[in-house]
Amino acid sequence: MSARIQSAAGILGLALLVLWAGEDLYRSSLLITMLTYALIALGMYVPFVLAGSLSLSYSAYAATGGYAVAIGSAHAGWPLWLGMLVAPPVAAVIAVVLGAATMRLSGFYLGAVTLLFAEAFIQLLGNLDITGGPSGIIGLPLLSFGGWEPSPFQVVLMATVLTGLLAFALDRLRRSPWGVVVRASREVPIAVDTAGVSVSLLNLVALGVGAAIASLGGALFTAYVGAVNPETFSVNVIFLAVFMPLIGGIGSPWGAVLGAVIVVDLTLNVDALSSSGTLLVSLSVLVILVLFPRGVLGFAGTLARSGTALLPKRGVRT
Amino acid sequence: MTNPQLWIAVVENGCFFALLGLAFYFNLTGAGFFNFAIGAIAMASAFVGSWLVTEHGLSRPVAGLVGVLGAVAIGVVMELAVVRPVQARGEGELSALVAVGASLFAIIQLCGLFLGHEARPGQPVWTTSPFSLGSARISSTVVPLVVITAVLFTAAYVALRHTRLGRLTRAIGNDTEAARVLGLPINTARLLSFAAAGLIAALAGITFAGRSGVSPDNALHWTITGFLALVIGGTGTVWAPLLGGALLALANVFIPFYFGGDVLAYGLVVVAMLFFAFRPEGVFAPRVRV
Repeated sequence: MSARIQSAAGILGLALLVLWAGEDLYRSSLLITMLTYALIALGMYVPFVLAGSLSLSYSAYAATGGYAVAIGSAHAGWPLWLGMLVAPPVAAVIAVVLGAATMRLSGFYLGAVTLLFAEAFIQLLGNLDITGGPSGIIGLPLLSFGGWEPSPFQVVLMATVLTGLLAFALDRLRRSPWGVVVRASREVPIAVDTAGVSVSLLNLVALGVGAAIASLGGALFTAYVGAVNPETFSVNVIFLAVFMPLIGGIGSPWGAVLGAVIVVDLTLNVDALSSSGTLLVSLSVLVILVLFPRGVLGFAGTLARSGTALLPKRGVRT
Repeated sequence: MTNPQLWIAVVENGCFFALLGLAFYFNLTGAGFFNFAIGAIAMASAFVGSWLVTEHGLSRPVAGLVGVLGAVAIGVVMELAVVRPVQARGEGELSALVAVGASLFAIIQLCGLFLGHEARPGQPVWTTSPFSLGSARISSTVVPLVVITAVLFTAAYVALRHTRLGRLTRAIGNDTEAARVLGLPINTARLLSFAAAGLIAALAGITFAGRSGVSPDNALHWTITGFLALVIGGTGTVWAPLLGGALLALANVFIPFYFGGDVLAYGLVVVAMLFFAFRPEGVFAPRVRV
């Protein structure tokens, strides 16, 4: 499936989701959860899929976004959108500092350290006065822009547009010269280093960009719900964020968005699955890793190519 | 540091961490692979054993046997159905890492879904009567944990150093490609290493759960702890996880005692970063003969 078709299908899919949610508050909150996870998964897509670096601190970056909105509003009287603007650079700085400290690590070692960091970070959030301790910060005002308070539907619409734009931008970035170099550094780091491009610097940039995007997910969720606490961003968020691009398909950032929609639907929306949804997600990941390593989008592309091959070719007499 | 009760806790924690580290060591030696599902396997065997005793009235030895056999089966299935096919595609360690992460997550969810997420009391197969040693109180699980640790480490040492199969396993773990060229039975050795790791993890989980209970939430923490015990101790000798487990237990007991429980989480990050960055081979590094 070509990148254009994937982008068009992704945009159409998001539009259909907005129409499906409409003014229904339950569906709107479900869609916001999907978009939150989609943003975290898109953030993880940059270092994990493009650069091949498995940093497992994404709950910390999402929490940074959530707390930037909450602390800015509760302690400094900022409007919520200002907190959403502050969150990405703060999360990027944290990711770059952590990335610099763990520059010599990769694979299992990097995964373990960043997971420990995420746990310690969430614990720190539960111990500070400014973050409201274990109960967090509640009762945030509604999202407003200079006196205009958008309705829940309008918030959902804006969040959908933001997610779509970021997925589209990441898809362009993936195919840009920078994206090609980052992907090459994942496969043949020595060759890229030898060519005069610092792989370490590429990784740091990828980590910073990914953390900034993931923080927007946390900020969006907190702004919509009006509250945040350390449990909001548990370790489960990290696992689900790793699984989402794999389920949707690692060939395109739209796969991360699709994976988020599938995971949230399975875990929160399908009544028949209820508590077994998360189990189904993890088993799906195993099946996909073993049988369909390109995920749902890759499988759809294979089916489409098979279907095209079966069609009679125009202009060829048989 | 002079409170003997704290040192008893160090011994107890240290044995458990060391056994988890030993399970990691077996996987690493035989398959060149960190099995991040070790904590989940240890949790599942203890959790299922407890469920069989409390809900179905099975005797502890039978429940323990079911837990151990289940753990061995999980290890074998993981290798055959997940790790081997994923690694066979040659996509590097990232895919395999995600695969074991998904396995860990699936085991946690399976236990939670069918047996509940609430903590259960541990049901160790063997306990002793509590007794006093000086001013310290020795609980019913301390002696079994120490004895099982000593037996398993000794058995592992003998098996890996002094048996044909052990030498074969180490040879394959050291250089899989060379072993493949020589026609050594790589798949059998890998399978045995996964089964042995499951066995050790199960015995560790079942015995340690007698002290503080077990719940699906323990799985990830136990995985990280076992991994750290191996990394700190090193991979140069089979005894290395014992040292790593002991050092980790010292930190786990004394840091919360003197500085508060929260400092432990921050301290572990710092310790892990320092070890991984400056001595990733651990205290005991493998020596290469030239």
